Amino acid sequence: MMKLKVYADRMSQPSRAVIIFCKVNGIDFEEVRIDVSKRQQLSPEFKEINPMGKVPAIVDGRFKLFESHAILIYLACVFPGVADHWYPADLFKRVKIQSVLDWHHSNLRRGAATYVFNTTLAPASGLPLNPQAAAEAEKVLSSSLSKIESFWLKGSGRFLLGGNQPTIADLSLVCEIMQLEVLDEYDRSRIIAPYKKVQQWIEDTRQATRPHFDEVHKILFKAKARLQKQRSVGENIETQSSFKTTLTSKM
Amino acid sequence: MELKVYGHRVSQPSRAIMIFCKANNIEFEEVTIELPKGQHKSPEFKEINPMGQVPAIIHGELKLFESHAILIYLASAFTGVADHWYPTDLVKRAKIHSVLDWHHSNLRRGTAAYVFNSRIAPVFGLPLNPQAAAEAEKFLICSLPLIESFWLQDSGRFLLGANQPSIADLSLVCEIMQLELLDEDERDRFLGPYKKVQQWIENTKNAIKPHFDEVHDALYQVSATLRKK
Repeated sequence: MMKLKVYADRMSQPSRAVIIFCKVNGIDFEEVRIDVSKRQQLSPEFKEINPMGKVPAIVDGRFKLFESHAILIYLACVFPGVADHWYPADLFKRVKIQSVLDWHHSNLRRGAATYVFNTTLAPASGLPLNPQAAAEAEKVLSSSLSKIESFWLKGSGRFLLGGNQPTIADLSLVCEIMQLEVLDEYDRSRIIAPYKKVQQWIEDTRQATRPHFDEVHKILFKAKARLQKQRSVGENIETQSSFKTTLTSKM
Repeated sequence: MELKVYGHRVSQPSRAIMIFCKANNIEFEEVTIELPKGQHKSPEFKEINPMGQVPAIIHGELKLFESHAILIYLASAFTGVADHWYPTDLVKRAKIHSVLDWHHSNLRRGTAAYVFNSRIAPVFGLPLNPQAAAEAEKFLICSLPLIESFWLQDSGRFLLGANQPSIADLSLVCEIMQLELLDEDERDRFLGPYKKVQQWIENTKNAIKPHFDEVHDALYQVSATLRKK
């Protein structure tokens, strides 16, 4: 039986969710890196796997699948040894998970991904930053974080929907919020500061899936460090040139 | 145990739920939430769905929103729902999840926002927004050819090569039906190039008659009124 193949880029939030899920559950797989910054997702070879040209995608035997929520559900159902809490057999619990996963597309994902792209990551894909799109996206992002704080994390549990153990929904949404790590630190803090439950939930999810969560997020933290360095170099240049201007004007 | 469906027949996902229930003889009480009057933002409705959106259901102790979650629940909870709607086969089921997920950020994002911002916003007391409509149009124009060439690529009459409809066909076709609110010329401009898509819409209507047309009656009426202006 051919090993499961996971086509992913660890800079992609839904890719990380799928990889972490496999590792946490001892699912044997081959990770095939598709480098989005090099546009590898648009290659003819990859489009054979996913004609939409997006990561993540999986191949299990002859079966190809894309869309991370569909993938997480499939893996949870097909691989024995996946604990029930990830995608419970109980129908009520299961459809509540479906509800938050659906809500995620048009809310947290749309807000967070668009905001991060248009303030920070667009140049890595050869595109310009877009402050207007970022401003629109920030509204959606803040509104989404607020809804998670006040509704999805209601109840005494540590995870979404009042659960005491993580589900695929926790993994998907937390991986999305982690993308905010690449923002300017002041910006990121400003956005997330009001949401104490959200911050605790991110930490709980990280703890529940260690060490894999941190290991899979390493590349994101490397990108964060690189971007911070660029920002501080940029600030130094600005400081120097405004200093020079001051000197010149005094002459 | 009584099932209540909160919705409005001008809302695409509301229609999908109602048609599904009727086609599968699932008894329910239809509670109309008057969207043009802002009833979806009322405190009473927010008790049912804090997101203030339709559709939502109450079934015994379960309150549920998001139409795909609702369709999955109804297909699973009610005996007598034929397997083709939401097959137990995990591979078929995964493919249905895949197209339902794709739908959110593609067809739905394009169609709903385009029709709202170019046509029906005034019904809700809001101005038309040509810039938002132009943005949405891009998603719509990209989505239809993907349905034509990929989701309908196999020989079956429905999505994913199936010969009977699934909840995915119902969800996506109800979305495309929203284009009926546009002028006929404009609707034809969008759908004209896509013969398979047009055939698939017909197949879906036929597979679920008379309920499909009956539930869409309100939409046709609104459309007729708009086209007269």
